Amino acid sequence: MPKPASIRGPETVAAAAVPALPELSRAAVTVALCCYLVGLALTMLGNTASGSSALVRTVKGRLFAPWMVPAWLDLGFDHPLASGGAGAADHALEVGLLPPAANRASRFPELRVGAQAARWRRLARAVADAADDADRGGPLAAAVGRGMFATLGGEDVVVRVVRTPPPERGAPPQAAETAYAARVRSRDGELQLLRSEPRVEVAPLVTPPEERPR
Amino acid sequence: MTSPGSPPRVQPIVAGLAAVGRTWERFWFAPADSRPLALVRIGAALLALAAWWSYAGDLQTWFGPDGLLPGDVVQAWRADWGFSLFDLASTRAAVTAVFIVTGSVFALLLVGAATPIVAPSSALFFASLLHRGPMLAGPADDCLAVLLWCLAVGPAGRHFSVDRWLADRSGAPPPGPEPRAGICRGLLQVHAAAITAAVAIAQLKEPAWWDGTAAWYAVAAGDGLRGRVAGLFADSEYLTNLVTHAITFLAIVSAGGIWFGPTQRLVARAAVAAWPLVGWLVGEPLWGLTLALFFLPLACDGGPTAVEPEDDDHERRSTRRRATP
Repeated sequence: MPKPASIRGPETVAAAAVPALPELSRAAVTVALCCYLVGLALTMLGNTASGSSALVRTVKGRLFAPWMVPAWLDLGFDHPLASGGAGAADHALEVGLLPPAANRASRFPELRVGAQAARWRRLARAVADAADDADRGGPLAAAVGRGMFATLGGEDVVVRVVRTPPPERGAPPQAAETAYAARVRSRDGELQLLRSEPRVEVAPLVTPPEERPR
Repeated sequence: MTSPGSPPRVQPIVAGLAAVGRTWERFWFAPADSRPLALVRIGAALLALAAWWSYAGDLQTWFGPDGLLPGDVVQAWRADWGFSLFDLASTRAAVTAVFIVTGSVFALLLVGAATPIVAPSSALFFASLLHRGPMLAGPADDCLAVLLWCLAVGPAGRHFSVDRWLADRSGAPPPGPEPRAGICRGLLQVHAAAITAAVAIAQLKEPAWWDGTAAWYAVAAGDGLRGRVAGLFADSEYLTNLVTHAITFLAIVSAGGIWFGPTQRLVARAAVAAWPLVGWLVGEPLWGLTLALFFLPLACDGGPTAVEPEDDDHERRSTRRRATP
């Protein structure tokens, strides 16, 4: 029985000689590596949460994005992983049938664990974070609501993202808050999204005395 | 190398450029042992299978014809030029079929069968899976995608693989050091430094990493063992601060320490041991494991890809060290 090769052990059998790359191949690989390393630097510069310059965006978008994006290489890698702010909050998605009395709702990730649960949390966060983005947030929330029509057995549902901020150190857990809520319904085959705006305190409308009608 | 006829003022510049050229050649093109790459291949395939499996339970809920993430909605979340093989699947059966093919490719990568074809295919299928639902992808997915492309460049199936077993049966001699393995290891080293540097910079932009409370926020919502760690952090502010600063220090040292001969192996081994722990602590265990795989080749033998003082015999010795460490 052959002895298993160790990772760093010396070769006991003559190894197959692999010739060095020819000059021309090395030149081609050098050019390719230089291009890739420049692209890597630009994609990292262009994907920071702090934003990027127009120059970086343009150069990256024109020269590097066409081949780096399909390969999922247009990345910033800037993951702080814990920030203490809204970024560290736990997000969950709730979709419930309307009227609420029907008491039919699905919650995600609920009992799911690990990477599967993390994907649901990312989806919930994406819905909440893109709420004000008309091109991405609204259609995503509407698609989530429509996708749950069959499961919930109705065509009028509420999509809600519940956010639980992390507690301060040594403090009791914070209450969950609604980060996003919208009603999704189908009327005559048309999908409608009615976003619930959070209630905010507003100052009373006071007219200065000099402007009051006498 | 300076040319004898160069003017005296130009000679140092020419010599400097020649030194840069030699360092570049040594870093990228010195033949390297491909056994560490085989270990990286096995680890990457296992992680890819874990990531793939995390889609399995909700595959139709997300990507099915009546799923939550229809193609037209996802298109708005993709960067221009993004595409997915899953876009071709318009029925439930087709989605399942593409998904099974994806998992099969990862399984082939794990056992090392037809690796020259399977390795780039794995990267392609993985990127495809991520493009199908960009909002579901996380830090581990980003790093794993890069890792799979690095493996596609190198001879990752030369050892510990079905390919090797078949070659042994046909009487082929064991493979020696290869230039492609050197290129692949160079890419892994560059990305290890780039990712950890980006992490360090991202951390240093957040107040929680400066005031030493980030470690608390990382475990605050944890349960089980992470919940117990949260209890320890709640009891001791100093411990919380220490762990927070240690993570940032690890990121900085990982990015810089792998470029110098005396520290390379030590830092790489520390990174292989520590990043999975950090990943677990911050609730991204797959990310921590993926990061450890980037450092694995350097931890196995280190040395040759460090920036070392030059001498005439360096390249020869460097090649020999890769061959018989």
